[in-house]
Amino acid sequence: MFPRPGRDIGFPIAGCALLFAVFLAGGLIYESFQGRAAERLVTVMLIDAIIVLGIQIYVGNTGVLSFGHIGFGAIAGYAFAVFAISPEEKLKRIPDAPFGLNDVLLNPALAVAVAIGVTVVVALVVGIGLARSGAESGAVAATVITLALLFVTHEVARNWPDLTGGNRAGLTFKVGAALDSRLPIYLCLLGALILARLFAQSRSGKLAVAAREDNLAARAMGVNPLVQQTAALLISVVVVSVGSSLRVYENGSILPDDFFFNYTLLTLAMLIVGGRNSVTGALVGVAVMTVGRELARRLGQDGFEVFGLSLDAGPLDWIFRENLQTVFLGLAMLGFMIFRSDGLLGDWELDAWLWRRWRRRIPEDQPEPLAEVAPVGLHAEVDREGAALEVHDLAVDFGGFRALDGAGLTVAPDEVVGLIGPNGAGKTTLVNVITGIVEPSAGWFKLGERELTGAPSHDIARAGLLRTFQNLRLFGALTVRQNVELAARVAVQHRPGSHPPVDALIAEAGLWDVRDRRARELDYGSARRLELARAAAMAPAYLLLDEPTSGMSDAESAEMIGRIRHMAAAVDAGVLVIDHDLNFITGISDRIYVLDQGQVISAGTPDEVQADPAVRAAYLGAESDAEG
Amino acid sequence: MTELAQNLIDGLGRGSIYALLALGVAVVFGVMHLLNFAHGELITVGGYVALWTLGAGWSWYIVTPLIVLSAVLTSLAIERVAFSRVRGSSDFTLLLTSFGVHFVISAIFLLYVSASVKPFDRPSWVTNTYSVGPLNIEVYDTVVILVTVLTLIGTTLLLQRTMFGLSLRAAAADFDTARLMGVRSDTVIRGAFALSGLLAGIAGVFWLMRAGSISPGAGITPMLKGVLAALIGGLGSLRGAVIGGLALGLAEVLLRSRLPDSIASLTEGVVFLLIALLFIFRPQGLVTVKHAVRV
Repeated sequence: MFPRPGRDIGFPIAGCALLFAVFLAGGLIYESFQGRAAERLVTVMLIDAIIVLGIQIYVGNTGVLSFGHIGFGAIAGYAFAVFAISPEEKLKRIPDAPFGLNDVLLNPALAVAVAIGVTVVVALVVGIGLARSGAESGAVAATVITLALLFVTHEVARNWPDLTGGNRAGLTFKVGAALDSRLPIYLCLLGALILARLFAQSRSGKLAVAAREDNLAARAMGVNPLVQQTAALLISVVVVSVGSSLRVYENGSILPDDFFFNYTLLTLAMLIVGGRNSVTGALVGVAVMTVGRELARRLGQDGFEVFGLSLDAGPLDWIFRENLQTVFLGLAMLGFMIFRSDGLLGDWELDAWLWRRWRRRIPEDQPEPLAEVAPVGLHAEVDREGAALEVHDLAVDFGGFRALDGAGLTVAPDEVVGLIGPNGAGKTTLVNVITGIVEPSAGWFKLGERELTGAPSHDIARAGLLRTFQNLRLFGALTVRQNVELAARVAVQHRPGSHPPVDALIAEAGLWDVRDRRARELDYGSARRLELARAAAMAPAYLLLDEPTSGMSDAESAEMIGRIRHMAAAVDAGVLVIDHDLNFITGISDRIYVLDQGQVISAGTPDEVQADPAVRAAYLGAESDAEG
Repeated sequence: MTELAQNLIDGLGRGSIYALLALGVAVVFGVMHLLNFAHGELITVGGYVALWTLGAGWSWYIVTPLIVLSAVLTSLAIERVAFSRVRGSSDFTLLLTSFGVHFVISAIFLLYVSASVKPFDRPSWVTNTYSVGPLNIEVYDTVVILVTVLTLIGTTLLLQRTMFGLSLRAAAADFDTARLMGVRSDTVIRGAFALSGLLAGIAGVFWLMRAGSISPGAGITPMLKGVLAALIGGLGSLRGAVIGGLALGLAEVLLRSRLPDSIASLTEGVVFLLIALLFIFRPQGLVTVKHAVRV
C-alpha cells in the first residue's frame, strides 16, 4: 500500500531535478550577465541552499524552531577543517592540537564523512534532550535548548584555541587548496533536495508532520513523536554537516563567527520567507533572500546609482548604509511572521502539484462500500473470548477534586457500549485514562490479557484502543485522504492482520467528494466523520468515541448512529461511546453504564437503565433542572 | 569552606541578576506563551541611554532611573509594534517574531550608532570590596542582592495583593478562562510587558555597571541567561524562574572556580552539558507546572 511509487518516489525525484535545474539556471544566467563578480555570490547561494534544505528537514517536518542547526554546522565545519587541512598548515595555527590531531590528514570526501559522524553523535545526545523536554514542556523548551547549543558551540570555538585556532586566527587551508570546482556542490545540492523531499514523503516524515499538526492526536493514534523527531533531526544534521563542510572548504577558512547569530538569522530568514513546510519553498526562499540581500548590500554601498539613476541620494543617506542588509534580514523575518507566517509558498510542492495535474486525467471511481462483516474477520487470529476491554476501579484526582472514584466497566469485542452521565461526571477523564493521557491514582485496565495501565499513549493505540476527541483533533493542514492514510501507515506497521482499505473508509464516512480538501476546511459534521474514519483505519480492537455527535442536529445524529455501527462492524471493532445525550446513547448502545461523580451508578440494557430510579435521580434529575 | 562561602556569595550576586531577567521572561511567557528573545534588547537600549547621558556628564544617580524607564518604554513599544499583531499565533510564529525584533533593534544600533564597543564610566564603588572575617565581599554584589530581594518582595506584593497581580496570575494559569472571567487581555498583557521591562531595567542597570561598555550585540548574553534560567526553572512558573536564575548563577561561579585551569575557559560549555543532562532526566525543569490537559 505504501509508498506509492509514482506519488511518493518518482514524482518527487523528477520534481527535485526540475527545481534544481531551474535554480541553477537562474544563478548561471545571472552570472553570465554580471561576470566574475557574481560567481562567488552564486556559489555561496548554492551552499546556503544545501544548509537551508538541511534545516528544513527538521524545522519543516517537526514544526520545532531550531536555532541550533548552525551550531551543528559549526561542529561539522571544525571537524572537517581539522581533518582536511594539511599538518604543515595546522602547525602554524594549532601546534598544540589535542588527541594527536595535528598529524591527521584525510582527503576532503573522507573528512566530510568524519564531520558527519562527529556531528551526528552530538545530535543524538542533544536530540534526546530536545525530544524529551519538547514532549514535556512543548516546542518552546526545545527551541531554547537549540539556542543554547548555538551559543555553546560558539563559546567553545572561541575558548579552545588549541583545537579551533580561537577567535582571531581560526583555521585556514593552504592558499589555493580550497574548493576549486563546483561539481561537488551541484551533486550535494541535488542530493539534499531529493533527500528532503523523499523524507517528507516517507513514513517517518509523514508521522513527524502528524505530530507537528497535533501532538496529542498523533500520540493517540500510535505515533511516537520522540522517534520521528529524532529521525528528522539526524537526517537534517547530516545534510547541514555536508553543507557546512562545503562552506568551510569554499571559504578556505573557518572562524567562530562564521557559524553564529548572523548566519542563523540568514538561513532561518531564507527558510521562513520561502515557506518552511515546503522543500520548494526553502529553495525559493534562498533565491529571494539572496537577491534581496544583494540588492540591500549594493543599495547600502552605492545608493540608487545601482540602477543607473543619478538621483541625488543625499537625503536618503540615512537609509543606505553599510549594514542595511542586516536590517533587511530582520525586517523580512518580522514582516513574514506578522503578515504571512507560512511564507511565500506555504506547503506547496512542485512535484505534488504536478502529480495532482497528472492524476486529474485519470478518473477515480467511487470505491466499493465496506462489507458489513468483513469476509475474513480482521482480527480472526485474536482469541475473541479473551479480548475484552476491562476497566477496573479507576480513580483520578485533580488537586482536591476527585474526577473518577472507583469507576469500572467491561466491553466485549463485538459490543457497542454506551457511557452516559451529566457534565463533569468523569466520562472524558475515563477515556483520557484508558488512552494514556491522564495517569490514574488507583485502578487498572487491560485489553484481553495485556495490562495497559500506565503505558504511553502510542503503545495503547498500537495495542488497539483508538479514540476520537470531543473537541476534534484532526491534522488540519493535511487533506482528508492524508489524514486517513496516516492512520493506515501506522496500522501497517503496528497492527497485525489485514487492514481496511483507505478509500473505502473515506467513502464510508461520506467524504469521497471532499477527499482532497484540507481537514481544517471541513464543516463540523464532516470533520467528525473524518475523525471516525481515521480511527477506524487503524484496524482498532476498540473504538472509543468521545461525544461523536456533539454539535450535530437530530437528523445528523441519527445518521451517525448507523455509520458508527456499520463501520465498527466492518473493521470488526468493539465500541465504547460516551455522551450526555440519552436519546443518542440508547439509540446506539447494546449496553449502557451510567456515571455520576466519578462512580458507576447503574449498568444494563437501555431499558433497564432508563427504568433505574437512581439514574432518574442523578441524571434525568440533573437534566430537567438544567432545562427548567 | 571559606572558598565555598565566597563562591556562594559571588554566585548569589550573579544569580540575582539572572533571576530578575528570568522573571521578566516568565511574566511575559505566562500571559502570551511568548518566549521573548528580544528581552536582552531592553538592556541594549538602556546601555545606549547610559552611554549618551553619562557622556553628557550626568551622574549614575540620574542615569539609573532613566535606564529603567527606557527599558519599560521599549518593552511597551515592542509589544505595541510587533507582539500585539501575533497574539494567539503558533509558538513558531511567536518565537521567530521575538527573534526578528531582537535583530531589528540591534541592527538599528549597528546601522545608526556604531558597530564597535563603546565604553562609559562605571560608578566608582563597583569594584570596591569589604571584608567579613576571611571573606572578601564586593559592594556591588551586596547591592545587587539587596536590590533583588527588595524587587522580588515588591513583585510578590504586586502579584499577591493587587487586582492587576491577580489578573496576571490568573491569565498565566489559564488565559482563556481568565478572559471569560472578565480579565481584560489588553491591560494584562501590557501590564506584563511593563513589569517585564521594569525587571529587565533593574537587572540592566547592574549588568551595565559591571560591563562598563555597550555594543549593538550586548543584549544577546543577558537574553540567553534569562531565557535559559526561565527554562531551567520550568517555563511558566514565576517562582521557578527565580530559582532557575539563582541556580544558573551559582552553577557558573562554582564551576569556574572548581574546574581545572585547562578547561576553565569552557565553563559555559560545561554548564550547558549540565543543563542538557537536566533536561534529559527532568524534562519539565526544576519546578513542575501542572497544566490541565484539555481533550
